[in-house]
Amino acid sequence: MTEPKKITRRRTRTRSAGAVPVELKAPSGDGEGKVKKALASIAEISVSPPEPSVEKTMPEPNGSSVAAASEQESPVDQLQQQLVQELNDLINRLKELSPAFSPPQIPGAQGLIEAAQGIVGKTNFEKIRSVAGDLLDIDTWKGAWFIANQTAQFQANTLQRRLHGEYETDEWGMDLEVLEAVAPFFEFLYRKYWRVTTTGLERVPGTGRALFVVNHSGQLPFDGAMLASAIRLEHPNNRLVRTMFASWFPTLPFVSPLFVKCGQVTATEDNGIRLLENDELVSVFPEGIKGVGKLYKDRYQLVRFGRGGFIRMALKTQTPILPVAVVGAEETYMSLAKSDLIAKIIGFPYFPITPTFPWLGLLGVIPMPTKWSIDIGEPIPMDGYGPKADQNLMLVSQLTDQVRGAVQKLINDRLAQRKSVFRG
Amino acid sequence: MIEKRVVLVDGVAGYWGGRVAERLLTEPDLHVIGLDTKPPQQGSGIDFIQADMRNTLLVELLKEEKVHTYVHLAFLDSKRPSETAFEFNVMGTMKVLSACAEAGVKRVILKSSTLIYGAQPGNSAFLREDHPLNAKRNFGALRDLIEIENFCTGFRSQSPEVQLTVLRFAHILGPTVDSPLVQFLRDDTAPMLLGFDPVVQIVHEEDVVNALVYATIYDVPGTYNIAAQGAMPLSKLTGLAGKFAVPVFHPIAYLGESFLGSQFTPIDFDYFRYSCVGDLQRMRDDLEFKPAYLAEDAVREFAALRKHIAETPALTPQEAEEERLRAVIERRKNIRQQVTSGGPSRPQPRGRPEADIVAESADNNLYEEKSQ
Repeated sequence: MTEPKKITRRRTRTRSAGAVPVELKAPSGDGEGKVKKALASIAEISVSPPEPSVEKTMPEPNGSSVAAASEQESPVDQLQQQLVQELNDLINRLKELSPAFSPPQIPGAQGLIEAAQGIVGKTNFEKIRSVAGDLLDIDTWKGAWFIANQTAQFQANTLQRRLHGEYETDEWGMDLEVLEAVAPFFEFLYRKYWRVTTTGLERVPGTGRALFVVNHSGQLPFDGAMLASAIRLEHPNNRLVRTMFASWFPTLPFVSPLFVKCGQVTATEDNGIRLLENDELVSVFPEGIKGVGKLYKDRYQLVRFGRGGFIRMALKTQTPILPVAVVGAEETYMSLAKSDLIAKIIGFPYFPITPTFPWLGLLGVIPMPTKWSIDIGEPIPMDGYGPKADQNLMLVSQLTDQVRGAVQKLINDRLAQRKSVFRG
Repeated sequence: MIEKRVVLVDGVAGYWGGRVAERLLTEPDLHVIGLDTKPPQQGSGIDFIQADMRNTLLVELLKEEKVHTYVHLAFLDSKRPSETAFEFNVMGTMKVLSACAEAGVKRVILKSSTLIYGAQPGNSAFLREDHPLNAKRNFGALRDLIEIENFCTGFRSQSPEVQLTVLRFAHILGPTVDSPLVQFLRDDTAPMLLGFDPVVQIVHEEDVVNALVYATIYDVPGTYNIAAQGAMPLSKLTGLAGKFAVPVFHPIAYLGESFLGSQFTPIDFDYFRYSCVGDLQRMRDDLEFKPAYLAEDAVREFAALRKHIAETPALTPQEAEEERLRAVIERRKNIRQQVTSGGPSRPQPRGRPEADIVAESADNNLYEEKSQ
């Protein structure tokens, strides 16, 4: 907590130092740093009556304030002189208190300025200085260096703290720090790259449980991340969505801990029921691996909806189901064929062949910047079927078909409205 | 005089048997009998019988002593599946259980592990007690436990009059125990898997003893997962414990395991890859047992102690020998005092030192505060 505070404080200090009238430097001589210090302390205590003049001179940039000061009438002038006098007194007192202090010198800085003056001429140098403003002020760079240093130190501290296990996770292993760290990337994808438009957000409850049932597409499971981003960024309560992933993902290094730390869980009925009983938002992709690895020619045609596990979850916890259609993800990769042999060798459930992958290597993994839309449909209530409804096989398969139909209808509606893959 | 309930603890010369017997001795209404093939190291107050639990006359002994509760803690820990260990653990347990049924023992307490669920990619985040026992059978101890538990399922239906309590403990951690997790954390070269960070569940050794004593005293038949609150990612555990685990790419690790055998690491690599966390709902609601340690506190305590040990200079052999002899003298002096004051016939219920009790209550307070 103390780190960021320090930064902002120091930042204001350097800024105000840049705005100090030049006269201040003369009496103190070498006490550049002391002027700043004194000024900072003055700003904090806010002494002396001449407040209007202080307000006027302080926020103005360097050169213009000098000019403005010379045009001031005499009472203001007097007040200014009084202020300078007070500051100088303060500086002298500070000097007495710590005679050993000398401001940090940047080697060669003065020489550089002199050399620059020599090259461009003194008047030109002043002109450049007035145009470039703070950029030529050594204090600006000092401040920038300080901030960069602090940031690096803060990040190093964070890393070290995490290495020593000093961080919190919930019982599922979700780590809010990691979530915060990756959120900007997904926000970029959501807002800039795929320009996602989400409709039906008002159907997502502000509190309490709900189960999203979503079509799966796009070779890589970005659709789950985009739905979660939509709710996180656009829903008034900025709720967290727990996405359920297939049990193949835990076998992957780096991917599996990332998923878990972002609050996602393995798709099992026990997990889903537990999350819904905790009144969380859960999203499931009942098509599973078969859905995400669809060929381009089969796009937007839903495959089998699992074995109805999500319906059992919803019936058991009496959770309303929100059908969701993600349109645009199918075109991010154009899977022309699948290689079973390569998939078998590297242990993946499928291995897509697209016009760019694997021919271009990692470049081929970059998805197409299509225009996405996420449509959240009318909730399908799951209460009112009585207890033990989840064991009624007929009911479960009926409801599975009903939800599947609702998702397919949402997809078809959106596809009918869509004019262009890239512009929506 | 009210007749005391007779509790027989086997394996008292072992770590768990010794510790549980020691705690049971402090219960005033229990008479504790210890059973083992060799005498316990510091069982001064215990009514010790030197015998093998596999002895066919165990039935006679149980009948004669009117044993009410049998706490079965004799277990040979072996990494590699070995015939001797299998014979001792599995056949031994079968003999004990059938002897208990024969002799009319009311309750049997068994110690097991949550690791027998197996670490698998499709595991739920919290595994209930009815989850199938899927652990790989390449680790001797786990294989034996699965065999024992499978036998228990049949035994429950065959002899419903014997109330069987099976406590499945998560990874055990503590300053004195020598568990696989402790070996892993102590071993500076033991690797973990690159890019995997499963959630792990632990339990403090003190809570293991507490739970076993609790199950002995109260009437709680059934199978329960026992672990501390607050499962944490493996990287957090190693970080807090101050262990630097070398990350190894998993195909290489598995290759190494298949060449070098399973004692390559103290814990099978699967447990560093997939999570295997027990659901604690039954422990809270049915068993109504509350571990004194939070998981994080247990790890911090372990780390602090480890640091302390690393900083104190090791004893020279001569000093160690002197220390040992001093302990022996103390022990003999204590026994002699007991003989002169109390009498050898009746096992003295030994009160626990006051400092211990204070520490425990402080811990409980801490727990209360944190859980609120």
